[in-house]
Amino acid sequence: MNEQITVFVDGRPVKIYRGMLVKHALIACDYALYKAAACGEVVVVDNHGFVLGLEGALQEGSRVFTGPRNK
Amino acid sequence: MKKPSKSLLCLVILLVLTAPLHGRERSAVLLTVIHFNDLHGRLLPYHDKSISETTPVGGAARLARMIADERAKNPGGTVLLSAGDMFQGSPISNVFYGESVIAFMNALKFDAMAIGNHELDWGQGVLNQLAAAAAFPLLSANIQDKQSMALSWAKPSAVLTKKNLKLVVIGMTTPDTPFTTRPGNVSGLTFRDPVEILPQLIREARNRGADLIVLLSHLGLDADQQIAEQIAGIDVIIGGHSHTAMTHPLRVNDTIIVQAGAYGAYLGVLQLTVEPFSRKIVDYTRTNELRTVLSGPNDPVDEGVVRIVDRFNDQISTKFARVIGESSVDLVRNPHEESNVGDLICDAMRHASGADIAFQNGGGIRADIPQGKITIEQVYTLLPFDDALVVMDLTGDQIKQILEQNASSGHSILQVSGMTVHYDLARPAGSRVIRVDVGDKALEPLKTYRVVTNDFLAAGGDHLTAFKEGKHPAYGSSLVEAFTTHLEKHSPVHPEREKRIVFVNP
Repeated sequence: MNEQITVFVDGRPVKIYRGMLVKHALIACDYALYKAAACGEVVVVDNHGFVLGLEGALQEGSRVFTGPRNK
Repeated sequence: MKKPSKSLLCLVILLVLTAPLHGRERSAVLLTVIHFNDLHGRLLPYHDKSISETTPVGGAARLARMIADERAKNPGGTVLLSAGDMFQGSPISNVFYGESVIAFMNALKFDAMAIGNHELDWGQGVLNQLAAAAAFPLLSANIQDKQSMALSWAKPSAVLTKKNLKLVVIGMTTPDTPFTTRPGNVSGLTFRDPVEILPQLIREARNRGADLIVLLSHLGLDADQQIAEQIAGIDVIIGGHSHTAMTHPLRVNDTIIVQAGAYGAYLGVLQLTVEPFSRKIVDYTRTNELRTVLSGPNDPVDEGVVRIVDRFNDQISTKFARVIGESSVDLVRNPHEESNVGDLICDAMRHASGADIAFQNGGGIRADIPQGKITIEQVYTLLPFDDALVVMDLTGDQIKQILEQNASSGHSILQVSGMTVHYDLARPAGSRVIRVDVGDKALEPLKTYRVVTNDFLAAGGDHLTAFKEGKHPAYGSSLVEAFTTHLEKHSPVHPEREKRIVFVNP
């Protein structure tokens, strides 16, 4: 089993260690994006549009998307 | 009088004999599957702005009341399941090693729970105690003992009978578990690929008379979908691990997949209509499968669970006030230079992991601690980010690259242990690290060093992307746990700045 996986944040490939979470993918991709998600300005969804938690698990090839939260 | 013909007589007899069957055919069986996952010890309501700007969400007492209300709608036809990761992750659970969550789950009469990867964070001994205290089975069919011994804390499946229907619930745990916890926590265990073992498990369940097969999965939605695509015979997957708030179920082939977010913010309520002769699901909840668990002041709660939560919560202040060490000097942070508290934290990380070198970002150290006794509460205030240790192999070149990135990033200076670094910030970016020693020897560019850091930096946080190039990564304990253990062993501590970080031409 590979120690690193590639996931996609808004279509951009991001390498993280296996076992890391949505928040790590955002940190690895763009720290400002992570901060915005952590304070609730941005939500993270999967390819079905279901909302994901920042501590949600990822696997090889997982795709997540970010967007402004609807208030 | 004319005698009825033989054929008419046969028809009447047939109608009489089959009448009860037609009656039963009309009354399909309604099952309710209540589920949630990834509670991570959140027994108390909390705020989540993405769900409500003002009203708290979650909380055991509110969840319990909502579960009771749903059960009352279908008494005798309701099952209550958890898809794992219930214990680790909040003070009210962590300081009791999950005992408070088990008390809550027993009160609610859970039918079964999948073992999540974080169930192993406190080791197999603690998990064994939790399983013994649980009034319901903890399930995982793919965690196996390397010596083929039965695991005392896990069963592969459970059989539930509701309204004369036999449900076989199979538990499954992510094979990534060894990548998410300390190696010692999973020693002697193998985590088999669910796709390899499920066909046999499904055949065995059907042979045992299963009417419905439920996969209680701590694998994540992506993996659940792949299983449903590749393996026939699973009626329902109750999922967890990816913290996906699935507002409606997905149907993949003949398998229905649901998952209820995380932290008890949502309660999943899946209604299944089962045809009693074929024992097939003929209808199910298509929309609004999740109930949002709003815990405002006027939302009704289960008073019995309130008392359980209060019993543990009242002890928290006592637990947090416990003195775990002492410092003979003030522990003072400094984001721009070496600090004595940064040195102490990095020493604790290195000792906890056995690594050659430790790195901690200054931004992750959030308080000073005055000279004197140190309580657990002060440690949580000092290190509030719930970071986990990550250990990896890096070459001397990669370590130098990390230090150069740090010297040019504008972020706080990395605190270190096991090494000394000389910076000249007047030089151009990329050439500001002018000397690095590991122990009493110069850093060797091609040599591999074992390095410990926290999960934020390991993901490339603070723009230190070279951390992402490590080999043989392994998760360790939490940073708080490492620091607490270090204080317990070495108090009174008296850390002084040791010139681990030196600026020339300051």
